[in-house]
Amino acid sequence: MASTDYAVPPEPTAPDVEKAAPPPTGDAPPHARHDYFRVADVVLRLLLFAAALVAVVVMVTSKETRTVVAQIRFPPSLVFESDSAKFQDSPAFIYFVAALSVAGLYAIITTLVSFLALLKPSCSTKLLPHFVIFDVIYRWDIYRMNSGLRICKIDHEKQVPEIACCMQLLLGIVAAATGAAGGVAYVGIKGNSHTHWAKVCGVYGRFCAHVESAIAVSIFASILLANLVILSVHSLSKKIPK
Amino acid sequence: MDTQHGNHGEVKEVGKRKVSMSEVGLRFLAFSLTLVAAVLVGVDKQTKIVAVSTLPPLNVPLTAKFHHFSAFVYFVVVNAIACAYAIISLVLTLASKGGNKGGLALMITTLDLVMLALLSSASGATGGVGLIGIRGNSHVEWKKVCNVFDKFCHQMLAGLVLSVVGSAIFLLLLVISARKLQKTHY
Repeated sequence: MASTDYAVPPEPTAPDVEKAAPPPTGDAPPHARHDYFRVADVVLRLLLFAAALVAVVVMVTSKETRTVVAQIRFPPSLVFESDSAKFQDSPAFIYFVAALSVAGLYAIITTLVSFLALLKPSCSTKLLPHFVIFDVIYRWDIYRMNSGLRICKIDHEKQVPEIACCMQLLLGIVAAATGAAGGVAYVGIKGNSHTHWAKVCGVYGRFCAHVESAIAVSIFASILLANLVILSVHSLSKKIPK
Repeated sequence: MDTQHGNHGEVKEVGKRKVSMSEVGLRFLAFSLTLVAAVLVGVDKQTKIVAVSTLPPLNVPLTAKFHHFSAFVYFVVVNAIACAYAIISLVLTLASKGGNKGGLALMITTLDLVMLALLSSASGATGGVGLIGIRGNSHVEWKKVCNVFDKFCHQMLAGLVLSVVGSAIFLLLLVISARKLQKTHY
């Protein structure tokens, strides 16, 4: 068994458990290779959760208040007006926070599921259907239909609808959020001379810095999500049972 | 492999070739939709005579064109790229006889994904800037524009809707190719 090459602790004991039950393919190299994919899956999802969390937190804490002193001629007095820039001012930023929150929620849930699947390669976890909220329809059906067989093999066959409905759709949502926030932030930075939309970032520098960082992190999150989809499709095409 | 179940899995066998007609149709539809969206936004132009509040009030003809807004320029560029990719991938999938040579299928799937992300971001940007144009933003004193340039805004909205449908088609294409990969290897 080529299981000593890998630094995953449960790995030496897993093959013994798997040999007891009827194995899906019974090959050693795919077993080793599918471990790579599982680990990479968990790592990518964890990074995605971190990126989504950071983007949401940075965007939400971006409120900046400036006090403007206005001089009134009659009666002669000074008026202190405080004006603030917060992310609720623009519907594009509100959508950004909502979309990235959904992405973070999806990421943490699927991280837990993938981590459980990594830890228990015998795949007898009956808890799998209960953890995955988004894919519960498919997995619960599978569990009911094939309660005698192991869940992991059957999951992979039905994983395609999961990929189709969840990850690509989420990529579309997150990319749209990035684009919307980016478009509005660009107008805020450069202004628009044709429609007389004034530049805002000269006045609210800290707010704009927060928004720009949040957008950069969400671009990173979109790239992570795209890599996740490509990883899943690649693992499908390499005949690797997960 | 039998591909009977699934409403997208129509397979037509021509001799030894297996070309999925639904995939060909979807790619052509994506090509035409993104082309029409890019053209609609690209030729969008409206001139109106606006009374500018100077002293004395001048009547100035103002023109709204798509390249006044960076988000719309990005939209046109991305839709042009998606249109070109749709026609190229259509030709490639027809030429490779629908077979699953791993390299080409994976590359087309990856590029489909990239196109989906790009199209969604372009739609989001256009939607965001368009919303400012329709409603204005009272907090930063950005005045709404669409009450004056209504034809411009309506054409932009039509182009946006078509592009959103185009990105949904790329999503469907990804579903089909994932299903195809699954069925070939299981």
